[in-house]
Amino acid sequence: MSVRVLAAVAVLLIGLSLALPALATGYVVYIGNLLLVFVVLSLGLHIVIGEAGQFSLAHAAFYGIGIYTAALSSKVLGLPFLAALLAGGLLAALCGLAIGILSLRMRDIYLALSTFAFGEAMQWVFLNWTPVTGGPNGLAIPPAQVLGQPILSDKAAFPIVAGVTLVVVALVAGLHASGLGRAFRAVRESEVAAAAVGIDVRRTKLLAFTLSAFLAGAAGGLFTTFSTFIHPDSLGFQTTILVLTMIVVGGVGSVTGALGGAIVFGLVSELLRQVPSYQEMIYGGILILVMMYAPRGVFTLVGRR
Amino acid sequence: MDDLLALDAVTMRFGGLTAVNGLSMGVTRGTIHALIGPNGAGKSTVFNCVSRIYRPTEGRIRFDGRDVTGLPAHAMAGLGIARTFQNLELFNELTVLENVMLGAYSRHETRLIERLWPRSPKTRAWAEEILEGTGLKDCRDAKANGLDFGRQKLLEVARALALSPTLLLLDEPAAGLRSREIERLDTILTGLNRERGITVLLVEHVMQLVMSISDRITVLSFGEKIAEGTPEAVRGDPRVIEAYLGTKQPGEAAHGEAAHG
Repeated sequence: MSVRVLAAVAVLLIGLSLALPALATGYVVYIGNLLLVFVVLSLGLHIVIGEAGQFSLAHAAFYGIGIYTAALSSKVLGLPFLAALLAGGLLAALCGLAIGILSLRMRDIYLALSTFAFGEAMQWVFLNWTPVTGGPNGLAIPPAQVLGQPILSDKAAFPIVAGVTLVVVALVAGLHASGLGRAFRAVRESEVAAAAVGIDVRRTKLLAFTLSAFLAGAAGGLFTTFSTFIHPDSLGFQTTILVLTMIVVGGVGSVTGALGGAIVFGLVSELLRQVPSYQEMIYGGILILVMMYAPRGVFTLVGRR
Repeated sequence: MDDLLALDAVTMRFGGLTAVNGLSMGVTRGTIHALIGPNGAGKSTVFNCVSRIYRPTEGRIRFDGRDVTGLPAHAMAGLGIARTFQNLELFNELTVLENVMLGAYSRHETRLIERLWPRSPKTRAWAEEILEGTGLKDCRDAKANGLDFGRQKLLEVARALALSPTLLLLDEPAAGLRSREIERLDTILTGLNRERGITVLLVEHVMQLVMSISDRITVLSFGEKIAEGTPEAVRGDPRVIEAYLGTKQPGEAAHGEAAHG
């Protein structure tokens, strides 16, 4: 992502933070919040798949860990929003590190299946660990506390969500441009050559998984600022696939692609809620068309490099 | 005596196959040393042992007086050992510039802050200099897999040079190159060796290059050292001729032919 695109994103997010709560309805602002959470989720998945080239299909699980951890640390420990978000991110990161160890032993489809299995197992935990997660009844999320004030509406949450998202976009864009970002991509392209230029391949993979899970957990923390309820149903494989679709449609490996894919595909997915019976078919159709005509993603044309 | 790289009775077995058998050899500091031998002689295996892709079954490897046998592959770059790959291992989807910048990762971009900072002006300037020197400057923004074969081979060398190596391991750098490209490679390598004092260990089949640039040659056959010496000495060694041409006619004809090849 070029500095110019990053600046445009910053202006847009700050502008929306000022204008949207005043002009739009609560529902529209809710969609805005949700899209930004998907942006953070996509950027997280982008690090592990797009940069480091490691298949991870457990993203929704890390997201869920972030949501439950942030919600419960706010509810039980009374942690303020930022601390709760970091707690969610850190616990998810720890689980990401554990899953990353798998990537040292297997690759490609085998790694994809193992991470998928972890995701499924976590959904089962969310669904059955009733005393903690509320199980199938879901969990009521208490209002997030910012500077001692409770955040009670989508409109009040939007500037916070937008602010955190902006920080994440800037950090991920910076990572992409840094030597570490190059090291991630080197591991993606050739592990033997990466080792030959002095990159510790194992450590780099673990770092990618950890950072990716941290962002998924932080996205979960963001979700708790505007949502009042979480149910394990929304933390399953469909969510992982939705985020995967976002980065693929946007263009694997491109920060701009992950960002744009999340916004566009998030919007499409929200609009398709009106016609649930066609939702899956239209998803599938879009994915096939993109793979045929723009396999490098529709956004890579905009912000290459 | 001043061996930069020393192999001491290195043996590498894969299951029942002994690819390298008790090989001892030294690469003198500041020289260009070639490792030759018929296909399957174990040359690339020796390379992979030195660059720690393989861990030798037996024997020790010393670099600059230090035992490096137990070190991981990624630690070799930091010591100043760079390598190229016979079958091209470029970072295909990255640009030529990024490939060369990555070459500098462990020697010119060592501080954490340098690796995390979104701009790398020092590394970039260094990579540009390497591109200039290897004649790849024009295609620095092209993707590595978009280059023609000759330039891809050259990019392998450029990436290795970006590491500022003390020892450069070249695995068949001339294979598949046209004669003009080989001449260019010859010039680049001789220049590096003379001007920067880089020690080179070279595996190569293209005898034109080997004979013209090597100070010393080690000949392997079936995993064992059968000859070692200057290009002239090795060229006339009957065991070398036998390994390359077979044993049937040990007479004058075979001798003469090998000397030309």
